[in-house]
Amino acid sequence: MIRDNKLARLLALVFAFALIAAACSSDGGDDTSAEAPEETTADGEEEEAPAETTTTEPPAPDEEGSSGGTLIWAHEQEPPDMHLDDPNNGLSITSWLRSPLIEGLYGISGATEYYPELLAEEAVVNQNEDGTVSIDYVLRDGLMWSDGTPLTANDVLYTHNIITEGCAVEDDGSIVDGGAAEGEDSTCVYFTGGYVGIELVTAFTVNSDTEFTVEMASFFAGFKALYSDVYAAHAYGDDADAVNTNLAEWANADGVLPSSGPMIFDSWDRGVALNMVRNDNYHGSNSPDARNDGVAFVDGVQVNFVADTDTQINSLKAGEAHIVMTQPQLAFGERLSSDENFTVNSSAGPVYEHWGLNVLNVHLQDPLVREALAYGMDKNEVMTGLYTPLFGDSLPAEGLGNTMWMSNQGPYVDHQAMYDGRNSEAALANLEAAGYSDSGDGIYEHPERGRLTLRVGTTGGNALRELQQQIIQAQLADSGFEIEIDNVDGGAYFGEVPFSEEALAAAGSGGAEGDPTIWDITQFAWVGGPWPGGGSAAGLTGNGNNPYGHSNPDYDALAPECDATVDDAERAACYNELDLFRTTLEKGDTGLFMIPLTQKPSYYGYLSSVLSGAGVAPDAQGAGPLTNVVDFQFK
Amino acid sequence: MFIFALRRLFAAIPVFLVATFAIFWGTSEIVDPTDRLATCQTCSQAAYDRIIDLYELDKNVPLRYASWLGDFVTGDMGAATSQGERPVSEIFWERGRNTMLLALPAFFLLMGLGAATGIYSALRQYSKGDYAITSISYLGLAMPTFFFGLLLQVVFAIWVPKYLGVKPFWASGMHLESPLQFIRSVTLPVITLMFVLLAGDSRFIRASVLDIKSADYIRTARAKGVSERKVISKHLFRNAMIPAVTVWSLDAAALFGGSLITETIFSWPGFGRLAIEALQAGDLDLLMSISFAIIVLVIMFNLLADILYGVIDPRIRYD
Repeated sequence: MIRDNKLARLLALVFAFALIAAACSSDGGDDTSAEAPEETTADGEEEEAPAETTTTEPPAPDEEGSSGGTLIWAHEQEPPDMHLDDPNNGLSITSWLRSPLIEGLYGISGATEYYPELLAEEAVVNQNEDGTVSIDYVLRDGLMWSDGTPLTANDVLYTHNIITEGCAVEDDGSIVDGGAAEGEDSTCVYFTGGYVGIELVTAFTVNSDTEFTVEMASFFAGFKALYSDVYAAHAYGDDADAVNTNLAEWANADGVLPSSGPMIFDSWDRGVALNMVRNDNYHGSNSPDARNDGVAFVDGVQVNFVADTDTQINSLKAGEAHIVMTQPQLAFGERLSSDENFTVNSSAGPVYEHWGLNVLNVHLQDPLVREALAYGMDKNEVMTGLYTPLFGDSLPAEGLGNTMWMSNQGPYVDHQAMYDGRNSEAALANLEAAGYSDSGDGIYEHPERGRLTLRVGTTGGNALRELQQQIIQAQLADSGFEIEIDNVDGGAYFGEVPFSEEALAAAGSGGAEGDPTIWDITQFAWVGGPWPGGGSAAGLTGNGNNPYGHSNPDYDALAPECDATVDDAERAACYNELDLFRTTLEKGDTGLFMIPLTQKPSYYGYLSSVLSGAGVAPDAQGAGPLTNVVDFQFK
Repeated sequence: MFIFALRRLFAAIPVFLVATFAIFWGTSEIVDPTDRLATCQTCSQAAYDRIIDLYELDKNVPLRYASWLGDFVTGDMGAATSQGERPVSEIFWERGRNTMLLALPAFFLLMGLGAATGIYSALRQYSKGDYAITSISYLGLAMPTFFFGLLLQVVFAIWVPKYLGVKPFWASGMHLESPLQFIRSVTLPVITLMFVLLAGDSRFIRASVLDIKSADYIRTARAKGVSERKVISKHLFRNAMIPAVTVWSLDAAALFGGSLITETIFSWPGFGRLAIEALQAGDLDLLMSISFAIIVLVIMFNLLADILYGVIDPRIRYD
């Protein structure tokens, strides 16, 4: 009996260990992944070899590959509706889901440059003597909606009208609902969209089915961002309220809205999946990144809403999904990149991480202290230790040195090259010049300002960001700074900390109102793009997007000048000059309130054992994995 | 019994009011629906005003609660901003049905297996079977739900297909295309839901049966020559079920109220996942409706348990 009991216990123990072992090795589902290569460093310590990350182009569509099949994308976020400009929406996932459904006059290429999408060629800008401009557009021949209706200049005019009619335009270009009172129908398409610049349009003339002219009161550099979605006049609704309703459900009374992209919306089982089917009337992609200029190879796309990251990976491994795209998280890099069945692909995206400095802080108001911080930080070490192993060479090894242009864009200049590497001597010299001295434990203090302790905050729970904070925290300890990490979980961070009412009031008033002590250093990401002028608001005096408290009349004057500069090269140089105000002290003591860290890579894992062609590589516009959906092809 | 049930229901009203106010107040403190606009570069004040109007954020919490309660009791559950402003009532029933699809089989299996393993363990105390059940119960008690769920995914959706060439279950998602697909998708989440609760229930019932097994009336029944089967079914089982009913009522409220972790891991679109989505999006109306459902479930199952006590043991009177 005693022996039997022991046997039972032993069996139970073995069973328990087997279960635990099974779970612990869940990321090494096959033999090859268990033999991940290791390298030995010069000093003999073993370190994990950098994960094999593909940063080159994905496999081209295979002529031998088959057409058909449904591409399945597992993603954690589900949009509230399909209306991107709905104030409750504005989520990236919505634009990612819309990207294969609807096209605009211009698209954005993998090099973060505009390309004519529905246009046959670049629009021609004519500058008139009175300062006004007229822009001539020509649409591609043979454009068609998925229901067979030709897509013409009248659709662009309809889009213009539906955006602006019944709306009021504020000074900053944002559209507000001009007539709707509470409980009444909206008189204009929701008011949060990025329609900045449309208020400058004075006339819209349709010359033929394919040609039209837009008159503007003055040149606006972001004109290519206008009409980034062109709506179908015959189907999207007769008035703003109908358009709002139809866009939200992506359907009208007759059925789903027709598409101009390679896919057609099919069905949406909330909480489970959203389905699209191939648009067989598609006129072909004009993207320089797309390899297939015909209709999509796959029959359709299914987006499964899988909230848990580990489940996304398990779904891939179980063959229930073919692609995942998510915030670059350690789990993906570590668990997928070593598996031969998957290709992990990344490319430099338009979103950049930065440390923003509160210039109203008692220490950070001193430009010498801000510069000491820049000297004390080693972005190279952050890249080498954190990003390069996961994302390969898709990002510059020295980190990002510009907030207006990204590293993969032509006009990019590293304005913070002088701070590359860690220069603790320069940092300490700066602090001493500012009146600081060592308090005895390596942290500096000022006779009036006190100990040099600064809080850095971000959206807690993001392992990559938190590790980055810890690395920089350790770096700055050598340069006299005591950095305390003070994160708030999730998106509440923004509303409670740098963009809280009190903090913004302080930033807008130079500290006279509100509370300038809510935060010291913030870490989050801004979105850039081919027209960087939209991001200049982050430095404008009193602007709601400027939590830093930066104020410089020269900057305020230069920002609109840049946007009004017609010549492309001159305008690019102007934005670079604008960046000098933000990332250096070259333009005066108010500068260096932003320290760009790195671009956030677009990050994908896809089942390369099943897909022969994938369209996931160049995604500099942040349009998501379906941006070149025409290229996906099954083996 | 009817009077008793009615009295209990009336007594539940203050509980309901206090609980919903506490949740409303707590949620209002931690969730600011305007947060979602914090980094919107093109949002005008009108966008903020719209959200402030929608949730009456310009009023204090008690007034907002009163307004919500007034709407709620008149059948207006509000609009779910995290779901395209669809009526909460519509989403409520849709997701409630999905949770039921998961909770019902889990609950009945839990009761059956919990009773079976608990009684078997007690009647065969210190046998191999008892040790095996005890070991697995401890494993279940010690294992976090998310770990067990992911473990099942790896074993049954990745390893079994890889090594045996058949894929018995889906790793994630709710598949209602056919009864077979439903069973393939519901099995792993049901096992996950059940396993953790089953471990506790089994131990509880075992202890209860062991306690009753040595009671005087059981010994008397045996001494009277009553057959062992009758002793177990009529005397032992029935009396052991009284404490078990208490545990099952708590299990039922937990299961039917939605499981945050299991539904998230298995991408099951039920109440639990909806609650997380609503919390993340600051969707107050939706959050309050889910909270209401959970409160009602707890009250209802407790009442049901009280009634069942009397059914199982006629000595219990509803005075």
